[in-house]
Amino acid sequence: MKVKVKLFGILGQRFPGYYHEQGMDVEIPDGARVKDLLAHLEISKSFGGVVAVEGKLLTDAAKLENGAEVNIFQSVFGG
Amino acid sequence: MKFLRVDMSTKSVNVEDVPQEYMGLGGRGLTSIMINADVPATCDPLGPENKLIVAPGVLSGTSLVNTSRVSIGAKSPLTGTIKESNAGGTVAAALGHLGITAIIFENQVPDGELYIFRIDENGDASLITAQEYKGMRTYALSEKLLEAYGEKSSVLCIGPAGEQKLTAASIQTTDVDGRPCRAAGRGGLGAVMGSKGLKAIVVDQRGNSTDAIADPEAFKEAAKAFAKAVKDHPFSGQMLPALGTAGLIGPVNSMGAFPSLNATNGVMEGWEKVSGETLAQMIQDRGGKTGHMGCAQCIVHCSNEFVDKAGKYVTSSLEYETIWSMGGMTGIDDLDTIAQLDFLCDDIGVDTMSTGVAVAVAMDAGHKSFGDTEGAVQMVEEIAEGTELGKILGNGPAAVGKHFNHHRVPVAKGQSIAAYDPRAMQGNAVTYATSPMGADHTAGNVIGEYMAQKLDPLKAEGQVEASRNTQIAMASVDCTGLCLLASFALTTPEGGEAFVKAMSAKFGVALGPDDVPAMGIRVLKAEREFNRKAGFTNEDDRLAKFFYEEPLPPHNKVVLISDEEMDSTFDF
Repeated sequence: MKVKVKLFGILGQRFPGYYHEQGMDVEIPDGARVKDLLAHLEISKSFGGVVAVEGKLLTDAAKLENGAEVNIFQSVFGG
Repeated sequence: MKFLRVDMSTKSVNVEDVPQEYMGLGGRGLTSIMINADVPATCDPLGPENKLIVAPGVLSGTSLVNTSRVSIGAKSPLTGTIKESNAGGTVAAALGHLGITAIIFENQVPDGELYIFRIDENGDASLITAQEYKGMRTYALSEKLLEAYGEKSSVLCIGPAGEQKLTAASIQTTDVDGRPCRAAGRGGLGAVMGSKGLKAIVVDQRGNSTDAIADPEAFKEAAKAFAKAVKDHPFSGQMLPALGTAGLIGPVNSMGAFPSLNATNGVMEGWEKVSGETLAQMIQDRGGKTGHMGCAQCIVHCSNEFVDKAGKYVTSSLEYETIWSMGGMTGIDDLDTIAQLDFLCDDIGVDTMSTGVAVAVAMDAGHKSFGDTEGAVQMVEEIAEGTELGKILGNGPAAVGKHFNHHRVPVAKGQSIAAYDPRAMQGNAVTYATSPMGADHTAGNVIGEYMAQKLDPLKAEGQVEASRNTQIAMASVDCTGLCLLASFALTTPEGGEAFVKAMSAKFGVALGPDDVPAMGIRVLKAEREFNRKAGFTNEDDRLAKFFYEEPLPPHNKVVLISDEEMDSTFDF
């Protein structure tokens, strides 16, 4: 299945040619979970990858749906 | 360790040794405990009984990175509560290098008088008449002061807003480049400074009488370890230098918690046009600066220099909160306009947050349309002009709401919320409602817990505990002069350990991890005591009514925290 991924923070810098407002289509197996997507994109836990779909933060175990618009950003604190 | 006590009615300056009961205190701990002890809680905040206290942190002036935060305390004319507002730049480090623990401004000048308070490189201080600076905006003022007293000077100053004693007036301070673009913004301390007849404080940066460190070798080692922890942390080490605090726009919109169009939606339409990523790209394309160092001894470099299409300087540093208040809240999705408004607020000396929200309330009330860029700029200019509407705007969103008889005014204890909607971050609802400072985000921002998946932002469970813990932690950090953005390194084992070791080495006592929160609890107790004496009760630890009644899209929640739960926040 395909998900539309937008990367925030400095995550986009790891993908040559990535433009943050455009996002990119990512192919992942049907039934893939958040942690599978992060592993596929090689975004490690220590880098603090946080995933949100439709305004909600998702856990690692959350399942992704075909066509979902996925925002991935680095863990932030408040200021 | 000296207090400088300045009597504005007699123009006398007295140097005192720090009394026993204030030993070991600094920053917010010092200002709050002293205000609670020495200021009658029911006094007129713009009258002679209020005091304005400027205090660097206990670590300011040491070699520890990111310790140039200054705390300014008083009774707030905006909220009527105790207030501490802090600012970065260079002045805290300068005061630390002079061994000055606090400057206490008391009483009041006769009508019409205006002064500059100057401290030279030997720590000698004097009041100098400043009539020629009356009405001057902060950029022109700072330029003149640096000319007069030397480039190696730190300036704290008010603009026309502070002189007019408007309750959203800020105290601006100069950054590493000498620009008055850093601010002790919240709570109207600029008005208190204006009421004391004080236009500026100028501190020489060349002091070399920093308070002795008990164990300099141990301190040096701990400082090195702490600096490493700051650099290793992905937020302070990578995200902030790349995008600044504006890097929060993506995540908070992605959570549906970005208060937009006067807090009627949790997502800003077109937020990607003003995101940290877009901002950084724009600045770089135009030849401005990202990863800019704004404050003394900073290794995070979260600041930026925004330039126009021709590469000319517009403002520094354009922050998340300002993009929120001037963009998200007003519906303005143009970074050039937002940057211009940021500059105007710094120059006039008003809190960018309160002012953006004031403009948004005026728009929501129908005075102008949301998204009206010219209208917004015109409104802010009116503050400097001192027109009738300008004064109302300069007194903040609650004043605007009252004037237009508008039902939607996003405040707690009279101060506006920050860029995290309480209905989509229930823990921040608790902080906004219960903080002794009024609605304040740096007092206890729970966002870190949500990002780490430890807590659900949309439910009531666990929020009071999370808010309590972060309010205690922040009250402790605010005593030290450490920047909030470097303080997240304290959440790692290495950073936390290094910091406790540094504090132990500084004071020559073996501090444990429990000693850090103990400080925060002490500060919060003093602040709540002052507020009680000032007439505040549990009934005041609530948010504006509409937060409990108007669901916020996209999650459509209201504030879910019960009164009983709110009242249990300070169960210590």
